[in-house]
Amino acid sequence: MRRLPLPTRTFLAVLIAPIAVAAPAVDFNRDVRLILSENCFPCHGQDAEQRKGKLRLDTREGQRKEGVIVAGRPDESELILRIFSPHEDEWMPPPESHRTLSEAQKETLRRWVTEGAAFADHWAFIAPKRVEPPAVRDTAWPRNAIDRFVLARFESEGLRPSPEADRERWLRRVSFDLTGLPPTLAELDAFAGDREANAYEKVVERLLASPRYGERMAADWLDVARYADTHGYQMDRPRAMWPYRDWVINAFNRNQPYDQFLTEQIAGDLLPGATRDQRLATAFNRLHAQNEEGGIVDEEYRVAYVNDRVVTFGTAVLGLTLDCARCHDHKFDPITQRDYYSLAAFFQNIDEAGAISFKGFSDLMPPPVLKLPDPAAESQLTQLLRQIARQEEKLRAGRESAALDFDAWLVARSGDGPAVEGAVVTLDFDELCESGTPNSSGNYRFAKVVDHATLGDGVRGGAALLNGDNGFSLADVPVLTRGDAFSFSLWIRPAAVADREVVFHRSLAYTDAGSRGYELVLEHGRAAFGLHRHWPGSSLKVVTLDEIPAGEWTHLTLTYDGSSQAAGARIYVNGQSAAVEVVRDKLGGDITYDREKQPPLLIGHRFRDSGFKGGRVDEFRLYARELSPLEATHLAGRTDFKEAWQTPATQLTPAQRVALKDHYVRTVAPAVRVELDTLARLRREYVAAFDAVPEVMVMEEELRPRPAHVLTRGMYDQPGDEVQAGTPGLLPPMSPPSPRNRLGLAQWAVAPANPLTARVAVNRLWQQMFERGLVESADNFGVTGSTPTHPELLDWLATELVAGGWNVKALLRQIALSATYRQSSRATPELRARDPQNRLLARAPARRLTAEMLRDQALAVSGLLVERLGGPSVKPYQPPGLWEEIAMGKPKYEQGRGDELHRRSLYTFWKRTVPHPAMITFDAADRANCTVKRQATSTPLQALALLNDTQMVEAARLFGARMLEQGGATAASQARWGFRAATNRTPRDTEVSVLVAALEEQERLFADSPEAAEKLFSVGEAKPACVQPPARLAAATMVASMILNHDEAVMRR
Amino acid sequence: MFCDHLDLGMTRRDFFGRFALGLGGIALSQLLPRSLSAAGAVNPFAGILAQPHFAPRAKRIIYLFMAGGPSQLDLFDYKPLLNERNGQDLPESVRMGQRLTGMSANQAQLPLAGAQFQFARHGSTGAWVSELLPWTARMVDELCFVRSMHTPHINHDPAITFFQTGHQLPGRPSMGSWLSYGLGSANENLPAFIVLISKDRIDQPLYSRLWGNAFLPSIHQGVQFRGGSDPVLYLRDPDGLPAGARRLMLDRLAELHARQFEDLGDPEISARVGQYEMAYRMQTSVPEVADVASEPASTFELYGEEARTPGTFAANCLLARRLAERDVRFIQLYHPGWDQHGSLPKRIRRQCADVDRAGYALVTDLKQRGLLDDTLVIWGGEFGRTNYSQGKLTADDYGRDHHPRCFTIWMTGGGVKRGFTYGATDELGYNVVENPVDVHDLQATLLHLMGIDHERLTFRTQGRNFRLTDVHGRIVSDVIA
Repeated sequence: MRRLPLPTRTFLAVLIAPIAVAAPAVDFNRDVRLILSENCFPCHGQDAEQRKGKLRLDTREGQRKEGVIVAGRPDESELILRIFSPHEDEWMPPPESHRTLSEAQKETLRRWVTEGAAFADHWAFIAPKRVEPPAVRDTAWPRNAIDRFVLARFESEGLRPSPEADRERWLRRVSFDLTGLPPTLAELDAFAGDREANAYEKVVERLLASPRYGERMAADWLDVARYADTHGYQMDRPRAMWPYRDWVINAFNRNQPYDQFLTEQIAGDLLPGATRDQRLATAFNRLHAQNEEGGIVDEEYRVAYVNDRVVTFGTAVLGLTLDCARCHDHKFDPITQRDYYSLAAFFQNIDEAGAISFKGFSDLMPPPVLKLPDPAAESQLTQLLRQIARQEEKLRAGRESAALDFDAWLVARSGDGPAVEGAVVTLDFDELCESGTPNSSGNYRFAKVVDHATLGDGVRGGAALLNGDNGFSLADVPVLTRGDAFSFSLWIRPAAVADREVVFHRSLAYTDAGSRGYELVLEHGRAAFGLHRHWPGSSLKVVTLDEIPAGEWTHLTLTYDGSSQAAGARIYVNGQSAAVEVVRDKLGGDITYDREKQPPLLIGHRFRDSGFKGGRVDEFRLYARELSPLEATHLAGRTDFKEAWQTPATQLTPAQRVALKDHYVRTVAPAVRVELDTLARLRREYVAAFDAVPEVMVMEEELRPRPAHVLTRGMYDQPGDEVQAGTPGLLPPMSPPSPRNRLGLAQWAVAPANPLTARVAVNRLWQQMFERGLVESADNFGVTGSTPTHPELLDWLATELVAGGWNVKALLRQIALSATYRQSSRATPELRARDPQNRLLARAPARRLTAEMLRDQALAVSGLLVERLGGPSVKPYQPPGLWEEIAMGKPKYEQGRGDELHRRSLYTFWKRTVPHPAMITFDAADRANCTVKRQATSTPLQALALLNDTQMVEAARLFGARMLEQGGATAASQARWGFRAATNRTPRDTEVSVLVAALEEQERLFADSPEAAEKLFSVGEAKPACVQPPARLAAATMVASMILNHDEAVMRR
Repeated sequence: MFCDHLDLGMTRRDFFGRFALGLGGIALSQLLPRSLSAAGAVNPFAGILAQPHFAPRAKRIIYLFMAGGPSQLDLFDYKPLLNERNGQDLPESVRMGQRLTGMSANQAQLPLAGAQFQFARHGSTGAWVSELLPWTARMVDELCFVRSMHTPHINHDPAITFFQTGHQLPGRPSMGSWLSYGLGSANENLPAFIVLISKDRIDQPLYSRLWGNAFLPSIHQGVQFRGGSDPVLYLRDPDGLPAGARRLMLDRLAELHARQFEDLGDPEISARVGQYEMAYRMQTSVPEVADVASEPASTFELYGEEARTPGTFAANCLLARRLAERDVRFIQLYHPGWDQHGSLPKRIRRQCADVDRAGYALVTDLKQRGLLDDTLVIWGGEFGRTNYSQGKLTADDYGRDHHPRCFTIWMTGGGVKRGFTYGATDELGYNVVENPVDVHDLQATLLHLMGIDHERLTFRTQGRNFRLTDVHGRIVSDVIA
C-alpha cells in the first residue's frame, strides 16, 4: 500500500476516533475474517500472482507489515485509513474491484484494530476440541448433550425453545429424515398409543434398523458421488454402475463406520487383501462423466477426470473448494496450486483413456474395471482356468514326448520345401483389377482398394503403395480371439520415420473404439504389435527396441500364442527375434467385436488415425497359428530353414538340429497339434464366458506412478514443475507410515488430527435432519464459508463421531432423540422476525420433501410402492419423446413395466443429458458435480408435475380407491382416512368438510360425463381392484390428488 | 374474508349452499384472507435484481442457435484466395501449430477448400452473403455481422456448453437462466426462459444442461416448449377431467391452504397458493401462445407454409415472435444439423433452406410490430468450420471439420448497430486479424444490452461468486448502436 499523505491521515484520525460501544469484543474468525477474505484477499491474499503491492492480509506477518495494522491504533493503521478515506483514489477496496464495504463492516474492522487486532487461524483448520456440554439454567428441557449446547445459546440470546411437536408430526418428520418414506396409519396409531417412556426411542430404533434407512442415506450420498446411469457428455451412453449404488445402500444399512466407508471408496483397492466389495467401493472415483465425442483430445479429458476426482474428494471429504486452486493459488484459502496438483497426483495413477470408446463401435466399460461374476459364472471361470492350466501342462508334456519322435520325422521329411503352410490371407500385391488385389488364400478373393491406393514396386513384383489416407481392405477374414494363436508376415518399407504410422490392423477405429482389435503400428519407427480390448487399460503391446529403417525393405513376422500374455507375443525383424519392450501386459477381455460389427482387415490407414504415409507393404500373410522361429527366418527370405531342411539328418549341425527340433515340437508333431487345438478351444470358451460377466469401473493403481505436474493455468497441455503426491500444507501432514498413495491419503483424511473430515461429516448429517448445517455452506469450510452457528456443538459432534468409532447411526439417533429435534416447527411471528433462517434452532425446520420423497410418498400411500433393495436402475413413467428429441442416434426411452414403474425413486434411471424431468423440477441435483446440498424451491412447474404427471395421477387413483375401500362408510371418514394417510396429520373438522365438499362436487361432475371417468382411469398401468361406481372413484382420485398437493403432504413440518 | 368469517360450526349444507357452486367463477383473491392472497400474488418468476444495473437497450433476446457449427466460409466470410488455392495444403504458417480435432488431425493432407457457392454484395452496406441465404441477403442492412468470433474449444460438447454456460464442463447455469435469475419474468403467466428445438434435425445431440439452471434455483431453468397438445411438460390435465373439475379442485385446495396458513402462518403456504394459481394460468396462457391458428394468412405468407408444422424452424420462429410479444426474456431456439464434416455442399443447402426465410421473416415481423428496437436477435453456432477439407476434396464435394479460430454470427435489434460488420479474418479464412470477439465477450455484451453488468450478476456457491463470464468478458462497445 502506498502511504497516505499526512493531511489526510490527520483528518481521518479525527473522523474515526473511537466511540463508546458496549458490544462484545470483536472475534477475528467470527467477525473479521470473512470481511477481509471477501474484499481484500483477492489482491492481498494467498495467490502470489494476483498479489498487489506485495501486501498480504491473510497472515499475521502480512498484517503487521510496515504500519498496515498497528494494534490498538486505528488512526495509524493504513488499512483503516484507506477504508475510511474520503478520496476515491485512496479507497480500498478500489472502486474498479466492484467490492464495497458496508459502514458496519468498516466499523467492525476499526473496532478490531482498536481492540488489538488479534489474529487467529481459520477455525476449520484447527482440530476440533472436545468441550463439555455447557451448563444451562433450564435443566428440564435438554434430553441429551446436543440440547445443552442449543439451550445455552437460547439462554444467552433470551429465547425459549418451541413446544414439542405433536406426535404425528414428529413421526412424519423422523420417518422421512431417516427412511425417506412416511409412516403408515398403523405406525401412527401405534406410536400415538405408546405411552411407554421409551416410545420415541423405539421408533428411532425401528427406523434405523429398516433397510429403507440405507436407501434414504444413499439418496444423499449419490449426489455427493455424482452417481448417474450414463456416461454424460455428448453421447451419454448408458453404463451399469448400479452395483456401486447398492454397495452404498448396503454400507449404510450395516452401519459401516464412516471412516471405513470413506477409506474403501477412496482406496479400497489398496487395502491389504482387498475384497471384491472394497474394490467396488472405489467406483466412487470413476463416477464422473466420461467423454466419447469424436475428435476430442484424449489428454484434455483424462486431466478433466482427475480434476473431478480431486474436487469431489475436496468437497465430499474435506469441505474445501479445491477447484479454486486448479489454475492459480486459491484466492481465499491457504491452498496453493502446487497443493492442488500434489493431491491430483494421488488420483491419476490409473491406466485410463480420456476418450472412451464410441457407442457405435464398442460400448465397453472404460478400464480399469472390476468383474462381477455371479457364483455360477465364477465357478465356471475358475473351472475353465483350471482346465486351461491342465491343458497347458499337457501341451508341454506333449511336446516333450514329441521330441522322442523327432528323429523319425527327420528321416521321413520330404525332400521338397520347406514351406510355411496354412496362410489364411495371402496378399502379394502384384496385380490390381476393378475388384482390388487378389487374396490367394481364404474365401474372400480380393482386398478392396480404399481411396485410390495403388501398387508400386515391391520386394517381389508389386507392393501396396500407400499415402496415409488410403489402403487395402479385406473382409471375411477369420475372426481371431485373444484365445487363438495367430501370426503375420509382411514386408514393409516406410518412407520416413514418423511419430505414428498404422501399417495394418483389424479394428473399427483408433481412440473412438479404444483401438479394440489387433494392430501393427510404427511408433517413432519402432514396430509395435498390439492386441487391445480398450487401449491403454486393457491391452497387450510389445514394441521393438530398434527402429525399422526408412527407405528400405524390412521383413516382419508377428506371432502370438493365444495366452493373452505379452510373453506370448513376438516380433521377428528380418527373421531374427527382436528385443522388445513390453508396453502393456494386461489384456482383460476379448479383442473382437459383435458379429455384425466385425471390421475388415485394413492395410495402410485407420479411421481418425495416422496412416502409413508413403509406405509400402508387400507379401502380406496371416496364419491362424503361431509360427516357429525357423519359419520366421524362411519368410524373411533367409536360407536357414531351407538349408537345415535340405541337409540329411546325419549331417545337421547341432544348431540346425536344435532349430529343427524346436520347429517340430512347436508346430509339426501331430499330437502337439491336437493339444494345441484343445487349448485354443478352452481358451475361446474362457474368453466368451469372461466377456459375458458384467463389469464396473473401479480404481486400480498403476505400479509406476504417472509423473505429476503443476499445470500452468490449469491447461492440460502446459505442464510445469513436477510434483509428488502430497496433502495440502495448511493441514497436518501425512503420518510417516502411511504410503504415498490413495490409501495413505484416506488414512490421512480420517486421522483424528485432520480438522475437517469429521466436522464435514457431522455437518451433513445435521443438515439431513435440520435442513441447514451448523455450517450453512456444507460444501465450503474454507475462510469464505459460513461461520458455524454453534461451533462448540459442531466440535462436540465431530469428536463424538470419532470417539464412537465413526458410528453414523449412533449420531443420527442422538440427533433424532434430542429435544431440539422434537420441537414444533410452528413459528410465532416474533420468532420468524427474530430468526427468519432459524439459525438458532428455536424451532424445527419445515421443509419441502425432496424429489424422491414426494414420488415415494405417493407410491407408498397408494399402495403401489414396490420395495426391493438394489438392482439395475429402472425407467418409470416419463413424458414421451424427451430422449428422442435431443439425443443422437435416437435412443428410445423404453419405459419399464409392472414393478419397474413403482420402485423407489433412487432407482430411477439417471441419464445425465436428459435427467427425469420431474426429478429436476423438484430440485434433484443434476449429478454433474459433487453436490452436498440441494436447492429447495417452490414453483408452478412443480404444481403442474404433482397434478398431472402420469405417476401422480395413477397414484392418486389407487390412493383414492384405498380411501374409499379402507376409509370407512362415510365420505367424512374416507376423507379423514385419506388426509391422514398422506399428511400423517389428523384433519380438523373444517378440513374434512372441505374434502367432503370436494368429493361430492367432483362426483357430480363425473356423474354428468361418464366417459370422463373412463379416460381418467386409463392413465397409467395400475388399475385398482375397486367395485366403486366410476364417478365415485374419479372423484376420489381428484380428492386424493388434492391431498397429495396439500401443503402438509408436500412438506415435512 | 371468506375464511376469516367462516364459522367453524357451519354445517356442510351451509357451506355448499353459500359457496360451492360459486367458487369457480370468483377470482381466488376475493376468497382468501388478505394476507394470503397478497403473499400469493408474488410472482414466483421474479428475479433478484429490483431493477437492471443500468437502462437496458433490449428487453428480450431471441437466440437462434445453429447447433453443430455453420460454415462461415460458405455463408458469410467470402475468401476468393481460398478458391484460388483450392486443393493446396494448408500452410503451416497459417495454422501455426493450432490443435485440430482428432477427426482430421491425422489426415495425411489438409487440402484448402474454396466455397463452391457464389458470393455477392448486398444492401446499401454491401455485405457479402452467399447464394445459400437469399432471404438473409435481403436484410443485411438490418444486421450486425461479427466475423471475428472465436472460442478455445474444438469439440461440440465443450464448445456448446461453453457458449451456453460460460464454462466448458457441465455444471454451470445457462445464459437464459442467468437472465431469468437476474431480471425475472416480465410476464407473470410465462417463465422468463423458453427453449424451442427444431425437430428431426439432430446430427449432434443436445443436452438439457444447455438450458439448465445448475446451481441457480430451479425456477430459472429453461422451459422447453414442445410441439403438440402438451407444449410444456405436465401442463395438460390428465385425460378425462370434466370441464371445471380442475378449477373446483384448485379452489378447494386453496381453501385448505387458507386454513393451513391460518394455523401455521408460514409464508411458504401462501407462496404455494400462488404457485398453483400460476400453474393454472399457464394451462391457459401456454396453449394460447403456442397456438398459431389465430395468425392471419399474412403471417404464413411471411414465414412460409412450413410455419404451420410444429417443430420446424419456421414454426419456432413464429412462436418466438409470439413469446417476444408476451415479454418472455430469453427465447432460445436450437436448430441442429450444421455439423457438416462431409458432403457439405449438399447438406448445407437443406440447412439453409430450413433457416433462411424464417430468420428473415422473424426479423421483418419484429420490425413491423415495433418489437425489433427492444428485442435482440442473434444467429450463430458454437464454432466455425475449417478452410480445409476434412476427407476428400473433389470437384463438387468437400467436408469441413470444426474450426474454433474464427466464425461469423449476426445480431440485430435492441441496441446493436445495423448494417454493420465487425472484425475480419485473414485471406484464407483461418485466423482473426481484426477485432477478435470471444464467447465471454459476446456474453458480457448481451448482458450489457439487457441492462446487466456481467461482473455484478453473481451467485455464491462452493465458496465463491460465480458468474456467466467466469473471470473474463469484455463488452464489445463497437457493435453497440
